[in-house]
Amino acid sequence: MRSKNRRNMISNRSLLCFASPLFFLLALSCNKPEQTSAKASPSGKQIILAMMPKSKGNAYFISCKKGADAAAKELGVKLLWDGPTDPDPARQNEIVETWITRGVDVIAVAVENREGISTALRKARAKGIKVITWDSDALPDARDFLINQATPEGIGFTLMDEAARTLGGKGEFAIITASLTAANMNEWQKYIEQRRAEKYPDIKMAALRPCDDMKDKAFAESTAILNSNPDVKLLMAICSPAVPGASEAVKQSGRKDVKVVGLGLPNDNKRYVREDITPSVILWNTENLGYLSVHAAVAVAKGELKPGATSFKAGRLGELEIKGDNVLLGKPFVFNKENIEQFNF
Amino acid sequence: MKRKNLFQFEFLLLFVLGLEILIFSKTGTNFATQRNMLEVLRQSTEIGLLAVVMTPIILTGGIDLSVGSMLGLSAVLFGKMWRDMGMSPALAALTTLLLGAAGGGLNALLITRLKLPPLIVTLGSFSLFRGLAEALTRGVDNFTNFPQRFLFLGQGYLLNVVPAQLPLFGLITLAVWLLVHKTTFGRSFRAIGFSPEGAHYAGIPVGKRLTLAYTLSGIISALAALIYVARVGQAKADAGTGYELLAITAVVLGGASIFGGTGTVHGTLLGVFVLAVLKIGLTLSDQPSELAGILTGGLLLVVLAGEALAKRISAGRIHANPKPCVPRTAET
Repeated sequence: MRSKNRRNMISNRSLLCFASPLFFLLALSCNKPEQTSAKASPSGKQIILAMMPKSKGNAYFISCKKGADAAAKELGVKLLWDGPTDPDPARQNEIVETWITRGVDVIAVAVENREGISTALRKARAKGIKVITWDSDALPDARDFLINQATPEGIGFTLMDEAARTLGGKGEFAIITASLTAANMNEWQKYIEQRRAEKYPDIKMAALRPCDDMKDKAFAESTAILNSNPDVKLLMAICSPAVPGASEAVKQSGRKDVKVVGLGLPNDNKRYVREDITPSVILWNTENLGYLSVHAAVAVAKGELKPGATSFKAGRLGELEIKGDNVLLGKPFVFNKENIEQFNF
Repeated sequence: MKRKNLFQFEFLLLFVLGLEILIFSKTGTNFATQRNMLEVLRQSTEIGLLAVVMTPIILTGGIDLSVGSMLGLSAVLFGKMWRDMGMSPALAALTTLLLGAAGGGLNALLITRLKLPPLIVTLGSFSLFRGLAEALTRGVDNFTNFPQRFLFLGQGYLLNVVPAQLPLFGLITLAVWLLVHKTTFGRSFRAIGFSPEGAHYAGIPVGKRLTLAYTLSGIISALAALIYVARVGQAKADAGTGYELLAITAVVLGGASIFGGTGTVHGTLLGVFVLAVLKIGLTLSDQPSELAGILTGGLLLVVLAGEALAKRISAGRIHANPKPCVPRTAET
């Protein structure tokens, strides 16, 4: 009986050796005609929009999805929302490649890695799928538009306006930056200074200190500024860890006459906003970013938004400006005591 | 007696694969197309290569946790040699393969000479290789803009149909299959898996065989790195993170015993396909990709439980008194 068993097993094994390559043969023989929804869309078929965040678990992108869902419902399109659970450029590529196979009408990606994703996006475009990027960009030849949430000009001007409003139009302030060499920070400072010189000549910048993108260092630098420059009535923190760092320094100093404004995330700053140490935190409205991205993607898919356009009407957001191939979300959003509790990221 | 054949493990797997294909053909858009089947194969290539060379290692009762990190390190080394040292892509690729062999050789040396357990050795090199990759790039450097001729390896299509990496994948799988199933090497891998001492006393050069298996794993991890870089178009230190676990999952799903001694290369290949079809099928069915993780884990447990049950039943048919669940190592 044993030997018979053995023979059976051997014949099974050789059978399987043929079975495995069968999959390869199956691969070559399957030839069902492919659906290409890309072509059918203008004639009234439901548009399929595939949208990818950098990572699905990030509260920032969960908040973007809220707006995206609202816009998809409004426009009656099918929204596929998928992406890596943690930022993973290779997984982003794989999902885009699968969307190409699936045949979607338009793909909108928040890019984790510019060069890596661009190969997959170019392939999608070659297959007739429209591509836009949002939140962060791919290489320009891999997409039609970037949905740009904030320009350096918008950030710089809004920060200075909020600072001036808090100071009441005159007085001294200090800036806590990430590093003195960071390109984006310097760009923002340029616009902060431009706005100050043009509109608020009675306000003076007394100090500029780097915090190396660390909350602890921002705390130490802020304390030093408060001690050495008693006339400084406002700290402007322009990198996100610096905002709670500066606020904590003001809180511990016990000075009620000094306030903080800055560029940061609502959750980091809620308690200081509640305590009125930080009257305003500036960022963009993430829900609106998701909402606009869906509107723009659908318009591109329908052929209503074409390269060269200078403005775009996006539902409840109204008419928005397009600069080159960037659709601008518009002025940054100001989080304050009235609205900050509605946001969770 | 005939019924027992139905319980042959790979048939269960083949059935699962068939079921997956059947379901996704209904629920997925453009699933049952030639292009998608080739896409499944294309996306399985890197994990597939790692799993195929992992099979002989697991047959010997060992494990190689360093393959994913080796992939990351090789990707970075290749990028560095090409961009910063001015090597041609071909020369850089060749050197990368040699360094991959050296990395695998290091694992083998520690395992065979110092008699350290493979789990511990490769856990060490898992951190070491990834750490080196991160140190070489300070965690941020990213190699891109590779020449088109090199990218063809991962993005090109032969005759506009067959992904360029497939022939390579097929060839290596065939070579490892022949090695494991048609040569005395294969038998010695299994013998080592059952009992290293027994194999030694039977005259099998255990050290040499293990060195072969781990070095092969190093080379093929480096090759998988080249294909990965060509496919994604970038080489960064985080390339291949977690691939070692996916490869091991495929091998175990393919019917190999983690204690060594049993397992087949074609079973592993089926395991790779079952996982890849699941991942792509879900996306084509518009399901969120994190479901793949849940279903992969569930599938692995169900298939293994199914196998154990089938074994129990068939054991019951042969022996009058069913024995308690026999671990897979105990059978040939």
